[in-house]
Amino acid sequence: MSGITSTTALWYASRATGVVSLILLSAVMIIGMLVNRQGRLPGLPRFAVLGLHRNLSLLAVAFVAVHVLTAVTDSFVSISLAAIVIPFISSYEPLWLGLGAVSLDLMAAVIVTSLLRRHIGRRVWRAVHWLAYASWPVAVVHSIYSSHDMQSGPLLYLGLVCIAAVLGALGWRLIRARTGLPRADRVPQLMADRGLLARAGDR
Amino acid sequence: MSPVIAGATQARQAPAGGGGFPRLLPPPTHLPNPSSPGADLRAYLGLHGPVPYRDSAGALIGEVRAAGLTGRGGAAFPVHRKLEAVAAARPGRAIVVGNAAEGEPASHKDEALLFLAPHLILDGLQLAAEAVGAGRAVLYVRGDLRARTRLDDYLPERDAYGLDRLPVEIVWSPHRFLAGEESALASRVSGGPAVPQFTPPRVFERGVDGRPTLVQNVETLAHLALIARYGPGWFRALGTPDEPGSMLCTLRQASGSVDVAEAAIGTPLATLLDLSAAGAVLVGGYHGAWLPAAQAAGLTLSNAQLRPIGAFTGAGVLAALPTDRCGLIESARVARYLALESAGQCGPCLNGLPSIAAAMAELADNRPHPRVLDDLGRWAGLVEGRGACHHPDGTVRFLRSALRVFGPEIRLHQQGRCSAATARPFLPVPAGPSTEADWS
Repeated sequence: MSGITSTTALWYASRATGVVSLILLSAVMIIGMLVNRQGRLPGLPRFAVLGLHRNLSLLAVAFVAVHVLTAVTDSFVSISLAAIVIPFISSYEPLWLGLGAVSLDLMAAVIVTSLLRRHIGRRVWRAVHWLAYASWPVAVVHSIYSSHDMQSGPLLYLGLVCIAAVLGALGWRLIRARTGLPRADRVPQLMADRGLLARAGDR
Repeated sequence: MSPVIAGATQARQAPAGGGGFPRLLPPPTHLPNPSSPGADLRAYLGLHGPVPYRDSAGALIGEVRAAGLTGRGGAAFPVHRKLEAVAAARPGRAIVVGNAAEGEPASHKDEALLFLAPHLILDGLQLAAEAVGAGRAVLYVRGDLRARTRLDDYLPERDAYGLDRLPVEIVWSPHRFLAGEESALASRVSGGPAVPQFTPPRVFERGVDGRPTLVQNVETLAHLALIARYGPGWFRALGTPDEPGSMLCTLRQASGSVDVAEAAIGTPLATLLDLSAAGAVLVGGYHGAWLPAAQAAGLTLSNAQLRPIGAFTGAGVLAALPTDRCGLIESARVARYLALESAGQCGPCLNGLPSIAAAMAELADNRPHPRVLDDLGRWAGLVEGRGACHHPDGTVRFLRSALRVFGPEIRLHQQGRCSAATARPFLPVPAGPSTEADWS
């Protein structure tokens, strides 16, 4: 591996922002599942978790954008602009970069529908939002196989931690979905938590 | 029970034929009389004549536009625009619903109108159905009013006179704050629970049973029935050029008395409420706003004056809070009620309103934590504009006005004091938590 020079700076930037994107996207996934099941984060009011989900998503978009643009601009390997969004046409690592393009396309659908949520209706938004569960694993596979960075050493452990965290959150989400309160009981429950209503059993 | 109040320029007058004032409610002299022209069909027909059908779809819409009638359920949306939207549907496909869910606990005007002038409502329902070419007419009425209105008797009575061209179905609504929200109504009339639905589609596109649905408050329908008889010019003789006509108001005086009154839009609030014993005035109900009594004394009943200061006429709820009550305690009780009325569907409403209600309860208490005010401001911003319906927005509007108007009271509470001389509740808030069964 050579050091950082003016010719390799973009290549390093692309790899670094790729790693940060993976961490951010994993966090977005975990917090998204928290939002979906009314989970809490220590020190945050329950509904600020939603704000965190959104803001982290936007931050992740910025990092993914830099990751992709630096990869294209860099002359170390040649990646065409079209290969960003059209899967499997890249001359360099067509399969693994193609998965990156697939993940990016799915991500774009999720983000655009979220921005247009008021106009497209809840059902469409919700259906498209499920694509996040497809986009993230594809991004993980892309991360691990596109370059060798994540195949060994500390970055491998980082990748494994991200995977374990998202799988853990997924497990929590599935259990919570089974044991969750019916809709009409949620508000009374939250009111009781705040001392504004007698517990259901006390009524 | 029901005083009538015209604008300052409009003296009280006996009705001249059917077009006098009050327009919707029977004149006071008729009130003790069980055969008042509002409810007694023969007397009603003598006063207003038969239903003035136009015998063509759409014919009435131009007159409604010329009259400038707006929805009296609270949103003041131009009626002709909804009529036009629903009239675009294939003839016979659309559904018209008269809305008397009146979920607002402080409002009694729809109830009063159902009791005193049901035939104006039913005429308006038929005329609106004709105007949009609807194939079905529904009256959506708060279930607990069933025993107190004679709606079940009126319909066969009208049939005997051959008044109704479309049979009217009555659907009873749960007594919930949001039961009259358009999409909640559409869900209930379609056989589901009365909870707000996610939009789009809007109900005028796809409402009851997926059909284009015109939802109008029953007072709006009553005005429509009068416009069809006496014309747009007559309608505009009261009110202001921008907000023509009269509206029903529920007046809760500082003395504790409650009246339903008809008032010309633009009537000074001081004409409607006795402000001498009031510290603050609630305008527009529990999604409305508090105003200091001194400020309210200089205002009229009109959105042109109220909207710029963050209030609105809404469904005409006006309440004068007596000076011996604490506005924070009252607001905290209402905030708690509004949080419990959340359908629990949208995260910001489900999680935000209980937090906000808890913070309001702390503020109403002795020596609130100094951080509570900051929390309230932050949380209010987080829930605004985020729900499927207007419930979080309306709640935040109410709460923000309380923080504005009761600032001096907040400082008293921070010192461990309170200006209230009595803990007796003033604003009506239904007791009891909600259950799933309550939504249908």
